[in-house]
Amino acid sequence: MQVFKVFMKVLKSRMSAAFLYILIFMIIAIPQAKSSTTEKKFERVPLKIAVFDEDNTPESRKLTEFIAKDNKLISMSNDREELIDALYWMRLDYALIINKGYSENLLSDGTNELFGSYHVHDSYSVSYMSTALDQYVSSVRAYSQSGEDLDSAIAHTEDALSQDTEVHVAEAGKNGVNGQSSTFRAYFNYFSYIIISVIIYTVCPIILTMTRKDIRYRTNCSSIHPNAYTIQLFAGSTVLVLGVWLILIVAGIFATGGFYSGKQWLAVLNSFIYTLVSTSIALLITSFDPSENILNLTAQILGLGMSFLCGVFVPLSMLSDSVASVSKFLPAYWYIRCNSMICGNEIYDSGRLASFMLIQMLFAVVCSVLTMLIRRIKFGTSSEVAA
Amino acid sequence: MFLHNLKYELISTIRFKDRLFWIILFPIILGAFFKAAFSGIYDNVETFSAMPVAVVGAENDQVLHSMLDSIENSDEPLLKVTYSDEDEALDALVREDILGIIYAGDKLSLTVGGSSIETTVLSSFVEQYNANAAIITQCAKNDPSSIPAVTQTLSEKLDTCREIPVTDGNTDYFTQYFYNLIAMVALYGSFCGIHITINSQANLSPLGARKCCSPTHKSVSMLAALVGNWLIQSLCMIISVTYVVFVLRVDMKEHLPLVYLAAILGGITGVSMGFFIGSLNRVKLPLKNAISMTSSMVLCFLSGLMIGDIKATINEKAPWFNKINPAAVISDSFYCLSIYDNYDKYIVKLATMVIISAIFVILGFAVSRRKKYASL
Repeated sequence: MQVFKVFMKVLKSRMSAAFLYILIFMIIAIPQAKSSTTEKKFERVPLKIAVFDEDNTPESRKLTEFIAKDNKLISMSNDREELIDALYWMRLDYALIINKGYSENLLSDGTNELFGSYHVHDSYSVSYMSTALDQYVSSVRAYSQSGEDLDSAIAHTEDALSQDTEVHVAEAGKNGVNGQSSTFRAYFNYFSYIIISVIIYTVCPIILTMTRKDIRYRTNCSSIHPNAYTIQLFAGSTVLVLGVWLILIVAGIFATGGFYSGKQWLAVLNSFIYTLVSTSIALLITSFDPSENILNLTAQILGLGMSFLCGVFVPLSMLSDSVASVSKFLPAYWYIRCNSMICGNEIYDSGRLASFMLIQMLFAVVCSVLTMLIRRIKFGTSSEVAA
Repeated sequence: MFLHNLKYELISTIRFKDRLFWIILFPIILGAFFKAAFSGIYDNVETFSAMPVAVVGAENDQVLHSMLDSIENSDEPLLKVTYSDEDEALDALVREDILGIIYAGDKLSLTVGGSSIETTVLSSFVEQYNANAAIITQCAKNDPSSIPAVTQTLSEKLDTCREIPVTDGNTDYFTQYFYNLIAMVALYGSFCGIHITINSQANLSPLGARKCCSPTHKSVSMLAALVGNWLIQSLCMIISVTYVVFVLRVDMKEHLPLVYLAAILGGITGVSMGFFIGSLNRVKLPLKNAISMTSSMVLCFLSGLMIGDIKATINEKAPWFNKINPAAVISDSFYCLSIYDNYDKYIVKLATMVIISAIFVILGFAVSRRKKYASL
């Protein structure tokens, strides 16, 4: 067990850096997972609206109060740069100006430009507010045409527009779909980013230290059999990888709010398979004997690149078809597809789920074969291949 | 002596090919991924487009049919309607092919996949339909003869709101990912910065041992190394920005010289940060590298590299942090250039970078001073 012990010794000397990586990646992932909410009932998303009332009449104040019922009024100055910042960073969805003369023109035919609005993105919130304002004005006018005075027309309009409408959220369990909370889905999606980065940052430097040219030559002329060396190196890597996986799975229990149950174990299994894929990728990288800088580059590009292209940071549904087609050549894509199925975003089909997991395993096999091939080409003899 | 040291620092840094290669290659590869992932996404996500919905049970409801037809055939249709049965509609909702299901009846009802601004707009549409029905009923009670006028008023297309443009700049929300990518490249200059101290200290590298034995004053040799790394990092930043602007065609051309200036100052901030991390006592090189890597990553994460709206969240909860986070300051400098028509805030960001760099350099010199060969 000499090699195994050396592996652990090298690991111990790099433990602080390894824990720092695990900690930092978890700091990145867990708040994001926590920020995803579990919605079982529909709630209107209140818009963040700033109202600048230039009319300042009882009618305009009633409109402001009506808007405030379902939305969040943001108090801010009518400063252009402040507005741009708030609108661009979406701290504000909409800035409404109630123009002077609003109350006088509310019932007249000239209803155009009762309001002004500032917005940066041509978003749904803009469309929503424009429609809501048009609806408010036409309703007041309709009541007025039926003989009501302005105050009564406004009061009835507010009543009519405040009626509750039946809005349900589709049950994920329906149609053979097994739903999981969005926190659970987010954590296990982020898992793919964390595990590949952490494994490359922790496993690769140790393997590289163990297989450094001078150390390799020394080991080769020792009495340790190459197979025993390889097995012990493999055992050391397995302990480390399983340790990292276990830490993340246990952290997941706290992050997702409870012990795993039912189909959640499939997500745990999926994460284990992806851990194997990540380990095989890490071993493939080490076979090129990269410097620490190249290792950092590879970890960043693989971690961030796959996360952006395969639906971790940006949902797959938002990506273009061509990007999604390219993503199919990356293991994270299949990992995310499995998660989507387990979490209820795709129709659950155990056959398809198994095939997606199998595809991930194939990636691991291909990477392992490539690693062996490269080592054979680079080092030639079998004894050195083992090193 | 300073120029002599600077010359050899430049030569040795350029010869350290894999570090340079890394800093240059990183934005090229990751930028290409970003471009692939975000091309057209702004139009898909942030800009308004017709919302796909399924309508169930509307076979005999001619009023609803004609209203939905008129909405679909308008210039800017709110909805893209499919008529189907309930099972098909639910499957489509789970697959996220549609945003919601509208059930016809005396009152319309809605089933959605979750709460979002899109589903809020949908619910608002259903509410308005039901509200119109309620208004007509109420008005009929008040004055039955007013029904034609009321119906006419409710169906009349109004345009009560005039949109006032606030900026002519680039409002594509996803461009900020590229700003943050450049910020990350800048902060990765910290890896160069770490090596300044390592190559100056006798107990950390053979080069440091040789330098300690030389008659050159340590502060001169370290300053030359710092300036050398600033220059090389500036070159890397110029290459990165050129790639992002001219190859990936990210809309940053308008104030290009100022974009280069901000990127170069960002690179200087990154190297200075690394200089400080490298000078930390009793910390081994792997841990120094880990600190540099993780701090760059966390700062970029908090600036929005991975989750775009995190900067806005921080701005609400702890706005002071965005003002001192080097990654946020660097990416904000590009944002200020692209969105404002004056340079006031841009200048503040540049000044912040200079101050942050100065603090790191002063701290780095303060921590690493008085470390002679004999005292190590």
